[in-house]
Amino acid sequence: MFMSDLQLDSASRAERSVAVSVRGVTMDFGSGSPAVKDASFDVETGSFLTILGPSGSGKTTLLRMIAGFQKPTQGTITIAGKPVDADPPNRRSIGMVFQKLALFPHMTAAENVAFPLKMRRTNPAEISGKVEKFLNLVKLDGYAERRPHELSGGQQQRVAIARALVFEPELLLLDEPLAALDRKLREEMQLEFRRIQKELGVTTINVTHDQREALVVSDDIIVMDQGLIQQHDRPVGLYRAPNNLFVASFIGVSTFIDGTLTADGLKVGDLLLPGSATPEATLGAPARGAVRAEQLRIGAGPEALAGCEIEMDGKVEDVIFEGERLIYVVGCERAPDIKFQIYHHDPHSFDIFEIGSPVRIGWHGKDMKIFNHDA
Amino acid sequence: MNNPTVDRTRFRYPLRWRVMDSLEEGASLIWPRSLSRHTGWLLLAPALLLVGILVLGLVQIAESSLHTLDTSTYLPSENYTGENYLTIVESATYLRILWRSLLGAALTVVFTLLLAFPYAYILVRTSSALVRKGLLVILFLPFFIGQVVRAYGWLIILGNSGAVNEVLGLVGVEPIRLLFNYPAVIFGLVQYMLPFAVLLLAPALTAIPQEIETAAGSLGANWLQSLWYVVLPMAKPGLIGAGLVVATLSLTDFAMPAMLGGGSQDFIANAIYDQFFRTANQGLGSALALVLVAIGSLIVGLVFMIFGAGTLGMGAKK
Repeated sequence: MFMSDLQLDSASRAERSVAVSVRGVTMDFGSGSPAVKDASFDVETGSFLTILGPSGSGKTTLLRMIAGFQKPTQGTITIAGKPVDADPPNRRSIGMVFQKLALFPHMTAAENVAFPLKMRRTNPAEISGKVEKFLNLVKLDGYAERRPHELSGGQQQRVAIARALVFEPELLLLDEPLAALDRKLREEMQLEFRRIQKELGVTTINVTHDQREALVVSDDIIVMDQGLIQQHDRPVGLYRAPNNLFVASFIGVSTFIDGTLTADGLKVGDLLLPGSATPEATLGAPARGAVRAEQLRIGAGPEALAGCEIEMDGKVEDVIFEGERLIYVVGCERAPDIKFQIYHHDPHSFDIFEIGSPVRIGWHGKDMKIFNHDA
Repeated sequence: MNNPTVDRTRFRYPLRWRVMDSLEEGASLIWPRSLSRHTGWLLLAPALLLVGILVLGLVQIAESSLHTLDTSTYLPSENYTGENYLTIVESATYLRILWRSLLGAALTVVFTLLLAFPYAYILVRTSSALVRKGLLVILFLPFFIGQVVRAYGWLIILGNSGAVNEVLGLVGVEPIRLLFNYPAVIFGLVQYMLPFAVLLLAPALTAIPQEIETAAGSLGANWLQSLWYVVLPMAKPGLIGAGLVVATLSLTDFAMPAMLGGGSQDFIANAIYDQFFRTANQGLGSALALVLVAIGSLIVGLVFMIFGAGTLGMGAKK
């Protein structure tokens, strides 16, 4: 059922217009391997795309090229149907929220928001109307006269986003603006960004290293590593069907099992573990299986593991308390090198296993993804 | 490996720390820990002492400014009188000198800041380490040449048979008198003040994050708009600080008006010098000196009142 959803989506996708088109874009700073290698993708009009990757993956460079702060060594970027390769940033109709926000400290919140309109020589009456409207949109009515240093971190974020949107750009770029906020505020602002984006329907490209943020806010996610696009998919697709080992390990918590790929599954020593191999995985080659922490089952005896094709005896080696859940770290005699990480979400039975308790763990064969792995 | 006696995993107490330890020990003998509450005052004491002596001197000058010169004995008069101040106010010459000094200081501030700002901006923003080093060397070079020597150098270069007139002569221009006029004095002052202004502006510009200018650009500002609406307002503390220093130094300058003005373009300092060392009229010289102190203090006070001492970038960032 889920797959058919995706197919329906992609069918209707073709009819939608493309706001940003990136074709064969490469950025080579001339030191070592290129920062971005041959990146190509489209962003649908009105959608929210997140470029997700660790630091040094090239995600910020890619964003800076779209913004026009850096010129790609190769490739073409098209915004709203118009190639922008020759345009400087101020001619690209792009609103950008910077990592450190870059609010103008000598201007009030309202003046900050008015700035892009003033630069476009909008008449004063129109400026004040729009500033009021956008301060209202970001829920900052009553803060117009405050200077940035008189605002809280979240309020400064709101000023920055109003300033980036007030001139109704074709494209909104977010350069990890939430990275410096504490977790609670960050999660609140993620939802705010999404609400504002949906309300205005502005095409948005967000850059982050926070997988949770990417999953929460995005319509589409591009995962990058070492300058290469690893996968471009909807959040659910990305989570359920990672393309490769990098995507599988970067998103979610998984236990990895090394072995050799056979027709019946992953062979680890004298164990044969069933699983679903990616198309790229070759038979007989070294492979690595990944099972997500929420797909592993744990119980005192076999009855808790109904339907699991794979079962093993083990011993709890560590219990990590994370508030809303526990992570059991389990070691098994039959697979001595592997530390299984298993989520336990039931708050009524948090204390059933202690360190050293004998347990039985298991999983469904289809839940283990098997990838090529050059050991 | 080559030296087996050195154990690389062992923590070695840094020599610097050892030196600091012995210094601290010595300090605690002179200034016991129980007095540490007053350490701030101790550190301020030398500065306060110097300012105190200056104030004493000022009081003495104030006292002598209240005596006129008795021309029959060439001694200061016995009785107190405000006549010296009356002389200054009623003399067209002194008023002209006052006005010339004030205008000179103002013009020097304007021209110096106009020239220093782009220099400081490029110094701070250039991505080339070579350009930055070059600009710094050029900036510090004049500091090694004293003001008088530099003024003398300008006499040679700008003189009637100097390098500039020689070059003009090559293209058929008759020698022009470039020296001993007001523009020459202003020129000399600007040239002298430029490094000070750049040094005071550079930290203020460094404090403006590059990202702010990038943001202004992405929001639609061209470089001129970005300069006018963002960089200049944010550089205000540096501009005021540099302007203030240049203004007070120019207002009280002696060498440039004396040498490049050739006696025809006296500033207040030159007039004071004449009273003390030429006509030996200590009273009038003292009165002129106090007028200069008053004008200088008034300017500094006004700037602080209008912009607040905080705009110089001192104290808590508000």
